[in-house]
Amino acid sequence: MKPILELHDLSVAYAGSAALAVPGLALEAGTLSGVVGANGAGKSTLVNAIAGWSRAAPAVAGRILFDGEDIAALPAHERVRRGLLLVPEGRGVFLSLSVEENLRAVMPPRGRGFTMDEVFALFPRLAERRRNPAGAMSGGERQMLALGRALRLGPRVLLLDEPSIGLAPRLVITLLQAVRRLVDDGLTVLLVEQNVRAASAVVDTLYLLERGRVVARGPVAAMQNDPRIIEAYLGASHG
Amino acid sequence: MSLAQQLVNGIVIGHAYALVAVGWTLLLGSARLVNFGHGQMYMVGAFIAWWVMRMTGLPYLLAIPAAVCAGAAIGAGMQRLMLRLTLEQNLVSLMIVTLGFGQMLEGAAGFAFGPQPQRLTSPLEAIDLRWGPIWFTAQDVLLVVATILVFLLLRWVLGRTVLGSWVRMVAEDPKLTQLGGVDVARVYMGIFAFEGAAVAFAATLVAPRTPILTSMGFEQVIMTFVVVVVGGIGSVGGSYAAGLAVGLFTAFFGALVSPAYTTAAVFVVLIAVMVLRPGDLAAGRGFAR
Repeated sequence: MKPILELHDLSVAYAGSAALAVPGLALEAGTLSGVVGANGAGKSTLVNAIAGWSRAAPAVAGRILFDGEDIAALPAHERVRRGLLLVPEGRGVFLSLSVEENLRAVMPPRGRGFTMDEVFALFPRLAERRRNPAGAMSGGERQMLALGRALRLGPRVLLLDEPSIGLAPRLVITLLQAVRRLVDDGLTVLLVEQNVRAASAVVDTLYLLERGRVVARGPVAAMQNDPRIIEAYLGASHG
Repeated sequence: MSLAQQLVNGIVIGHAYALVAVGWTLLLGSARLVNFGHGQMYMVGAFIAWWVMRMTGLPYLLAIPAAVCAGAAIGAGMQRLMLRLTLEQNLVSLMIVTLGFGQMLEGAAGFAFGPQPQRLTSPLEAIDLRWGPIWFTAQDVLLVVATILVFLLLRWVLGRTVLGSWVRMVAEDPKLTQLGGVDVARVYMGIFAFEGAAVAFAATLVAPRTPILTSMGFEQVIMTFVVVVVGGIGSVGGSYAAGLAVGLFTAFFGALVSPAYTTAAVFVVLIAVMVLRPGDLAAGRGFAR
């Protein structure tokens, strides 16, 4: 099967200093891949570059094939319209807009995308708080809202940057299980996650990034036995 | 003149200030942009209406939409010029560019329309309405009603429509807005076009009160800036209230003290506001509706 997303010689530099170099990476449709690594390893840089988005001004080079089309030159909103969605790290919702406005004020492509009711069915908590400003919600609720917003846009590939950050452990599991169900329904997800143990429970494939390079990759079952993963992220108790 | 008459004058002048300021308020609230070319855009709006009436013989009420369209085009053109700076939020450069843009408009208008004062005549100016000792014109009524409608419309669009949500999204976080599949450049284009159209509309309603000159933009920019700042940056309701307050202050100060010192007195009040409510100019992103 042809991968839905392929990277060829992707490199990113901030103000002249290299932050990421990925010679090749491919995502099969309907799979959940995890990206793990230490702080500063280039995890956010990777997903931001794929989405063509950044709060800084990085220099991105290389080819990004989305469903066979090279989208590397497209602005972020054009990639979104093709179905390549990013939920960025930290603030992914508009705090001054209500929950409902956050979900409504997107440009859903025709025939794709969750309806408001489908988002509310997935996250009932959002339905209860639909008139509240997003700024009055907890971190977990904001993450659900950010994910719901992305689903409204009809993603074919969803890039999630640290969705579990700042969440209580139970919420992390709830959120990641929701992501897993979406993948089982056909969505393709690339998940950046600091919480390797939680990520390992749901992903199919794991990529380990170190200093801007993919140093190990493979099916999660094999990667869980990789000494570099065990040593750095899972601790001795797991082995 | 009676106090009641001054009250009516103040209300009319106040609505004029508010209507002239409404586009800038949106621009400032959403794009964080101080447009020092605003006054010259006002001047051009008035002169285009005057020129259309003179060249084509169209009646006043049909010259208004012509001027509004031209204003929207000028606003959109300005956005094209400044898009990169707007996206980078390069505020100092933006101020200088808007100042320069205003000077260019003034020069072009002087070249096109000549240095003589002209009159933009509205037939409604000639319709006097009296209510006891109070006197006003049909033009005054049109100005007040139109201003209220524009503010209500803007409030409705911002608070109740998807288009308004996009404007508020751009105000809060333009980068994040891109991830909603929204072309931020086009939202800015719409905001600038509204700014240009709104100030041209204001000019067609306000300018018949006095002779128009191609050099009248700078005075407009000063008073409008006061209204926008006193209203609280980007606050639509606030700029309406501030316009009204400045109008009433102008009318009463002019009648009770001296019209010659009105502008100076307004600035005394402005400085007091800035000192007592610091942080307004650096207010956080997002709209206070």
